[in-house]
Order: sequence, then structure tokens, then C-alpha cells
Amino acid sequence: MRLLGVLEKDSKELLILQDRNQLSLESIDNIKEKFANYTMLKNRDKHIGSKAVKGNGVFNFRYGPVTGGVGDAGVFNIYTYGERILSVDIDPGYKKRNIETLIKNTALHQAVNWSENVCSNFAFSHSCAFLRAVEKAGSFRSDEVTQRIRIIGIELERIYNHLYVISRLSKGASQNVLASHLEGLFEEALRTNKLFSNSRFLKHTNDLFIDKNNFKKLDEAALKTKNIKEKFEELYEHSLASWNFIDRLYKTAVLDQKKALEIGVTGPTLRAAGCREDLRVYEKFYDNFKIITKDKGDVLARMQVRAEEIMLSCDMVIDQIDKIKKMQQNNSKIDEPSISGFGMGYCESPSGLVLYFVNMNKGIVQDVYISTPSVFGFKAFADSFVGYIFTDFSFSFDSFGINFADCAR
Amino acid sequence: MKSWALYGITRKLTEPFKKLEENTGKMDKIFRRSLNIYPIDVGNNGDLNFEMAALAAPQYNIHRFGIFFADSPRHADVLLVLGRCSEKMVGPLKETVNQLPKPFNIIIVEDGTDFGISARDLSLPNVIAYYDKKLEAGEILSVLLNITGDKK
Amino acid sequence: MIYTIIGLYILGSFTGFIGRKISYSMAIIASAFSFIAGFEAKFMGNTLSAVFSFLPNITVGINIDGLSGLFLMIAAISWTAVSIFSLDFGNHYRKRMAVFLNLSMLGMFLILTAYDALTFLSGWEIMTIASYFLITEHEGAYKEAFQFLAFGELSTIALILAFVGLNASDGSFVLIKADSNSVVFLVFASLAFIIKMGIVPFHTWLKEAHSKAPSNASALLSAPVTLMGVYGLARVINITGYTHVWGLLAIILGSVSAFWGAMEAAAAKGLKVLPAYSTVENNGMILAALGLSAVAYSFSTKSTLYEFAFLTAVVLSITHTIAKTLLFLSIGQAKEQLHAENIDNVRGIHKSVGKIPALGILISGLSFSAFPALLGYVAEWMLLESIFQSYQFSSILDRVVSLTGGVLLSLAMGFASFSMIKLIGYSALGYHHEKKAEPMPTFFMNVAELFLIAMIFGISFFASDLFLGLGYSKFVIGALGIPQGWLLASAEPVFGVISPAFFVLVITALSVVPFLIYFRSKLTTKKVASWNGGLALKEEEYFTANAFSFTIEHILRFVYMTKERTNKNRSYVAISDVFESFYKQIVTFIKKISYSVSRFVMNGKVYFYILYILIMFILIFVVFG
Repeated sequence: MRLLGVLEKDSKELLILQDRNQLSLESIDNIKEKFANYTMLKNRDKHIGSKAVKGNGVFNFRYGPVTGGVGDAGVFNIYTYGERILSVDIDPGYKKRNIETLIKNTALHQAVNWSENVCSNFAFSHSCAFLRAVEKAGSFRSDEVTQRIRIIGIELERIYNHLYVISRLSKGASQNVLASHLEGLFEEALRTNKLFSNSRFLKHTNDLFIDKNNFKKLDEAALKTKNIKEKFEELYEHSLASWNFIDRLYKTAVLDQKKALEIGVTGPTLRAAGCREDLRVYEKFYDNFKIITKDKGDVLARMQVRAEEIMLSCDMVIDQIDKIKKMQQNNSKIDEPSISGFGMGYCESPSGLVLYFVNMNKGIVQDVYISTPSVFGFKAFADSFVGYIFTDFSFSFDSFGINFADCAR
Repeated sequence: MKSWALYGITRKLTEPFKKLEENTGKMDKIFRRSLNIYPIDVGNNGDLNFEMAALAAPQYNIHRFGIFFADSPRHADVLLVLGRCSEKMVGPLKETVNQLPKPFNIIIVEDGTDFGISARDLSLPNVIAYYDKKLEAGEILSVLLNITGDKK
Repeated sequence: MIYTIIGLYILGSFTGFIGRKISYSMAIIASAFSFIAGFEAKFMGNTLSAVFSFLPNITVGINIDGLSGLFLMIAAISWTAVSIFSLDFGNHYRKRMAVFLNLSMLGMFLILTAYDALTFLSGWEIMTIASYFLITEHEGAYKEAFQFLAFGELSTIALILAFVGLNASDGSFVLIKADSNSVVFLVFASLAFIIKMGIVPFHTWLKEAHSKAPSNASALLSAPVTLMGVYGLARVINITGYTHVWGLLAIILGSVSAFWGAMEAAAAKGLKVLPAYSTVENNGMILAALGLSAVAYSFSTKSTLYEFAFLTAVVLSITHTIAKTLLFLSIGQAKEQLHAENIDNVRGIHKSVGKIPALGILISGLSFSAFPALLGYVAEWMLLESIFQSYQFSSILDRVVSLTGGVLLSLAMGFASFSMIKLIGYSALGYHHEKKAEPMPTFFMNVAELFLIAMIFGISFFASDLFLGLGYSKFVIGALGIPQGWLLASAEPVFGVISPAFFVLVITALSVVPFLIYFRSKLTTKKVASWNGGLALKEEEYFTANAFSFTIEHILRFVYMTKERTNKNRSYVAISDVFESFYKQIVTFIKKISYSVSRFVMNGKVYFYILYILIMFILIFVVFG
């Protein structure tokens, strides 16, 4: 059982819990189990990480909010007495946009737009999780074609995000040729997205009902995806032969399984620590899916999980496109103003679980709680980075595939 | 197994680039062959950050136009303000502008959302271009080529 | 002259009970006279002497020959500066400080001018005991002072043994123009002086005492007091002549000491611990240079190396005495006005305390890092040149020892630069943290610092004149477009050359044009706060001095015995000097033994005491009866 969020409602605390694919909302008084990440989740907008360390010669090596290295607005308070990292405290407040408040009292389409704007690189996962929560609230399910198109979107998102992470890792390790080629592939992946959905970040596509006829360039997208897979396979094989590269990643920022479960981190980070958990296995239309795990829990393991997932995702995209083309779509429509009640929905985003709790009233969003993978990812980074040196910062940070936009909402 | 160097030079990823005409101000001609840009995220939803990453891709090959990413605002000629400003980022943005060496220029690209404060309302100096919609990597490159004048 | 100087010092120590200012002024005058006396003896050839018969066969007295004169001049520069400095600095301490300052200088004067062993010993003891009291002037420094005294007395015992050896070999206690081959004398005298110089493994007292003592006393202890050791060694060589084995041992001990001192200085965090370790390093270099001179002499007197190496030791001594006095005085002023003990807590001295002490730290620090145009540059160039010339040695042993020593010495120079950059960067320069210095009269402190700064520049500029004055005209040539008398050469025939004076002139001339262009140009400099991610730096966000040296503490963790500790959310790095732990263990062991012995012997039972007395009686009768 995993604690994914702490929700305050009518001055009562409700815990959002997840056990395999079962989500539940429980009052804090009914739960006996203590969660190690409870305090972290309560303060997720103020600071994530561990406390400041004091001592002779210890200082705060503040990194951010404006840096060339991370390029994302947020502050890392890194406590050190030289090279050794003693504690990391992260302030995500610089990117706080209060989307959960902005989303309130908006109609469904506007709300989907907001959810996509939480974090563009997980835009499709966010909108998926949101729409699935709405479906739960309205107690209906979207049709097969819509679900299969969503799978394509989610997997395309995974491909470009994973490519980006691996290109960052190779750039951090000064593997410039590899990095350049991966950046090239990343740009190709963005172009594939545009072919598929007319948006480089798969925005404005997701809906309760997606019309298959809107997708005119599916064949080209499939072809491009095939190319990306072939090229990536070659690059990946090549990169694993480079000792210089592997040496930088091996045994860096190790996060063991126990710690990972305690933090509540999901996605490739958890799978790289040896945990066989991927909620996609519970979904009906994922065909030929297999969970990829590694057991070292270091940067290298996280990269390997991501790399193998890229290839798997490419296959799934091509396969799903093939299936959709053969399918007939019934013209079903959902009456939006009829949706009332609350529901929770999740989506296995490239970096872990995105979860939405939604409360709807006649098609208008009343209340929303967003649990994002980056919150857990930042905590995992802060904890695993302790004991290493600042030179490892870029690998350690990039390997989690997290960003402040996702974390701060 | 080829070495990375051989692997690299046997593939050409760079694409010819045709710039679009944009209505921007012009910088001094001295920046034509060397333009150092420093992107600053002031609270965008992330896609402009990823577009900047895409701009570094070999398809665009911005180095052939003499455009480079600076590592610090102190080395930059152009500050690219990405997104609309969150409350806490107003101070750091102003400090970043303060650190730019003269002569400098500022390009503001917003992401088309309506949270936060528009950087245009912060009365920043030397704003040479302003876009209230999201730009893609290729479009950003076009803007950069436009501000440095007509280069073939 | 001699009587005037001694009289002035004694008068100075008496007037110390009346008024500090008068007492310190006496010290200034006496020190100035000492310099003149030394100058006359060295350069004019006027040997001042006051010798009389004390007992049959025993003559005591004072005699200033060339060697004494040279060292007297060096020491007198430091004495003068310390005395001037104390005019202001002494206000915050008790009057007895002035008494002991005068006495300790008197002790040193007697050492440098002693005609015979008895005068030498009395000077030695006066200096040691006066220094002991000077250290105790700092509140709570009893432990450190006692450690100083313990090592001081150890060297006295060694000295007594040495003089017994001297007397056994030639039947007299005379030191001047003596000639002896006594091994006992050589061994024990060298031991005594090495202890005084703070050579590893006898350096632990130095770090403790120097860092705890009041700063004027630290300057005195670190520069002229250790110089007494150097003078002692020079005198020993004068008496016994060069010994090959002694030279080899001196190279080994000296280079190890230089390396160890520099390495520990690099990791030091205390404001005065760092210069104290730097003293260990510098004295190591001096000893190594003397050793090299001895080895070179035994190898061949045809080569000029032995003379050059000796000259190196002299120049190193001059450099160390002047620059270390300056360093301790400047740091002392800052420490006194800011009430801080650590390098980290005195940042921005140039703003909080003043430009002159900051300049003092800067110049002395740069001199120790062998920055061109400063005296340290000449000295370290000479040391390296001496090492390079050891290629001439024919014996494998000589070659291996001098080469290994050379490697250690070069490493020491590197570490020294590192530690000095740390010291300068974090204390003299560095960001000012709005710390307020306690206001106090600083005129004389600044005069003393400026005087020493001028010395560092001046002696370096006129180094060729110094060479000529000391009688080494063979090392002063003219070549490469530099007129005769301005180029220093490291051997005859020429091996390596520098001209510190022309270096300064050329650099000045070359920088005229860039500066003119800079001042003429219309480009303006935009001044902004340091860039730190778009936010202003907070106090706890500054890179600390500890962090600066953590990398080497980590790399050399087996040498430093680096331990990274965390205790109740407080983290720190602990390093230790392995020799210190060694002495600590000895102390605990001795304590244990003395405790059990005292429990056994002094057990408060009367019959036991009577028994003890009886046994002693019987023993005495048996032995002497």
C-alpha cells in the first residue's frame, strides 16, 4: 500500500492510497499504518528533502533558481563541507502556479487544458489521469478506440521523455557524439508527436471521446517511430560499450528498494530498484506488455530501464496504430453536464504515477487534487544524492526524469 | 565496432534551414557571427524548456549560425525569457537582467497560458521581441536569425 | 655598544613595570643598535668583543663576528618591527608582557653574540623562560606554554650535553673560532637546534604555542626564536666543519619537515595554526639547504654548489624571518580587532580592519608562495636551483637523497602556495560580512607592517647587492642584456639566472601601455553583485575555507587521518597530525606510570619514607664511598 497524497477536506485529512491498481480515499483516523512519506507530502509545496545540516565549515551550496545546468526554476539547497553532499533540501516554490486552484469551477474542456499545462512533457499523462478520474466520477468508460489512442499518446510521450533523459545523461558524462545523436532522436520524436497529434507535446488531443478520423498521418507516425527504434537500438548498444560512460553512471546515486518504497516513488526509478510494479499490466488494451526491471537502483539501472522501455514503447505504438486502423468506431458521445460525483484516475507517466482526484458537479470541476511523480522523484533524488559529490549532480538529477513544473503544479 | 568519433562523422543530421521573416527589432551587426543566448525559465509549463533542448539538436545545428548557449547571464548577449513569470521569479529575473553585460537584448516568449505575470509588464529594458504564444524550436531559431539582421 | 644594547634591554624590562610605552621604546632602540652592531661586524669587519676571565680556564663574554653579525641583523629587523607593533598592541595586555618581551630579546641577543657556551646557555634559558611567560599572557594558554617549555628544556639538556662533548674534545667552552670534531657535540647540538626550529617530529609545540600566544609573541617565537636554531646550526658547522652524513640526514629531515608542514598548513583552519605550520615548512627548507651545502662540500669543493646552498639557507632565513613576522603581526592585528580564531571568521580584513594589515597578509602570503618581485621568490628560486645542481653528485646515495628531498621540497612549495592562497583569499581579501572591527590605536601597528612590507620588496629588488655584501660576488653577473651586478646566477660557471630587479622593471614598463589604454578607453565597467542563481548570497551560502581544502584532505585522507563525522545534525571533518597523537599517547603513558609510581612511593606512610631515605643513604655510600 502506497500513500500518494494527503487531501484536506472540511478540515479533515484524507489519505489517497494505492494498492496495485486499486485507489482508495480513506480518512486518516481509519488508517493504522504509518507512512514514512506523510510529512513530505504535507509539505510538498514548501520543501522536499532533508533538513539543513550545520557544523564547522558546512555551508549551503545553493543551486538555483536561475542556472544554466538545470534550466528549470527551482532551488536546491545543498549542504556540504566541500565536495561531499550532506543533505539536500529542495524548494519548488519558484514554479508554483496554483493550478489546482485555477482548475476549480471550470468546465471540463478548460480543465483538461489546465491539466495539460501542469507540465508539458507529461501533458498526455496528466490529461489521461484527469479524464480517467472524470470517467470514474461519471461511472462510464470511454470506448476502445479512445483507449487505444490514449495508449499511443502515453507511449509516444514515454519515448520522447526517455530519449531526453538519456541524452541528458550522456551530455552530463561528456559523451558528446552520443548526446548529439540522442538529441536528434529527441527532435525526431517531437516531430512524430506533431504528425500524430498536431502538437509537439501531444496537447489538445485527449478527450473523453477521441475521434479516430482526426488522425490523418498515422502511417507516417508509425514509420517514424520505427526509424527511431532502429536508430536508438544501434546507439544504445554502442553506448553500453563505452567504459567512460558506464563508469560515471555505475553505482551513482543509488536508491535501494526499501528506500524507494518508503518514499513512495514509482515508475522507472522504482523498477530500476528491482520492484516489479507497472500499472500498465492491469490495463485491458495493452497487448504484449512486459515489465522491465533492473536491480542495482543506480543511475545506470534507471537508464537501462528507460532505454529498454523506449524500444518496447515503439513496438507498442506501431502495434496500436496497426490495430486502430482496422477498427470501426461507434459514434458515441458523452453528455458532459451529466457528470457528477467524485473519482480518481491514474496514469503511468514516463516518470511514474500521475494521479488525479476529481470532484465534479454537473460537468463543472469542483475540487481537484493532483499527485505527480516529480514530488516523489525529488525526494528520491535528495535522499540518494547524499554522500556523493557535486560532480555527480547532473547524472543523479537527470536520471530521475523529474522537473519543477510537474512538482510544483 | 567504430569509435564514437567515426560514428559521428559518418552521419549527417543537419537539415537546411529556411528562416521565416519575423517582425522583430534588430541588434547590432556585430552579433551576426556570434550570438550567445541565455534562456531563463520564469515559470513556464515546461514546453519552452523542452523546445530549448530541442534547439540544441543537430537538425538545427545552431552553431553554424554562430549561435551558442551561454552558461551564465554574464556571458550572454540575448536573454530569452521563457514563459510567464511566477511571483517568486520576478526578483531573480530582474537580477538576471541586471547581470547582463551591455549591450544586451531581451526576447520574451510566453507559452500562451494565462497564469503568472507577463514579463512585458515588468518594464524590462531592451526588449527586442515579444511573443504571447508558444514558439517551436524552429521558430525560435528564426527569431534569433531575424534579430541579428539579414544573413544568408 | 654591546653594553649599551644589553643595558637598554635590561632597562627596558625594568621600565616595563612603570610604563609599557617606555619599555617598548627601549626595545626599539636596543634592536636598532643590535642591527647596527650586526651590520658593523658583518660588513665593516669590526668584530666587537667583550671577553673576560670568569674562572681559571673559563672565559666568558660577548663577541660579534661575521656570522653573529649576519644573524643579528636578520633578527634585529624582526625585533624592531615587533617592538614598534607592541607600542599599540601591548595596550591590551598586562605590563609584564613588555618585561618579558625585552628579556626574550636580550636572551636572543646573548645567544647570537655569545663568545662561549656558558653565555650561550644563559641566553638560551633567558629566551626560553621569557617566551614561556609571553605565551601565558594569552588567557588559558598554560597547557601550550608548558608544552613549549617542555620542548625548550629538552633542547637545553641536549645543548648541555653538546657543550660537555665540546669541552671533552678541546678542553674549552669557547664557541668562536673553535675547532672540534666531537661527534657528541655535533649530534646533541644539532638535536637541540632542530628542536628549536620545529623540525618534524619536534614540531608539535610550535603549532600549539604559536597559535595560542599573543600575536606579537607569536611573531617573535616563529621568526627570531626559530632563527636561533638556524644560527646554532650555522655555528655548529662553523666549529665542526661539514660532515657528509650530517648533510644527508639534514636533507632528509628538512625535506620531510617542509613537506609535512606545508601539507598540514594546507588543511589548517585556525588563523594562526596555518602560519605556524608554514614556519615548520620554512625551517625544513632551511635545514635541507644546509644539508645540501654539507653534501655538496663533501662531494667537491671545486663546485660552487656548497657555497650557493649555504647562501640559499641564509636568504631563506632572511625571507622567513621578515615575512613570517609580517604575517603574524598583520594577522594578529586582525585577530585582536575582530576577536576571531578561525580563517573563516575574518573575511574581508581589507574592509573591516584596514588596508595595511590586509596588504601585510597579502604580501607575506605571496612571498611564501614565491610570487615574483617578492623576497620569497628569490629564496625559493635559489632552493630549486640548488636542488637542480645536485645532478653533479657522483655517489648514488647522495643522488637518491637529494632527488627525493627535492621532490618533497617542490611538493612543499606547491602546498605552501595552496595554503597561502587560502589564507589570503579568506582573510585579507574575500567578501566583507559587515563585521565591525573593535577600534583601537593602530598607527604603530601599521608602521611596523609597512616597514616589513618595504623590506620584502626592497631586499628582493637589491638582492644582488645583498649577495655582494655577503661576499658572494661570484653569483652576481651581468648577461642577457642585464648590466653587470644585477643578475643573480646560481653557479659558476653559470647554471641558472634571475634578476628580480629587472623583472620588476620590465613588468612595470610593460604594464604602462595596457594601463594607459585601460584608463583612456571609454568602455565602462558595470559593477554588480556576484552572480548566484539570481538571488543575493546569504551569510551561510559563502564557500567556506574548510570546504576549500576538503578536496586535498579527502585525497590525502590516509596522511591526514581524515574522518568525516556527523553528530546530532552537526557535520564536520576532523583531521589530525599523526605526530600529535604520538605525543599524546606518550603523555598518557607517562601520566599513567607517574600516577602508579607516585601511589607506590608517596603513599603517606611514614615508615615507607624512612625506608626510602635509608635505601638512598646506603646507595650513596656504596656508590660514592
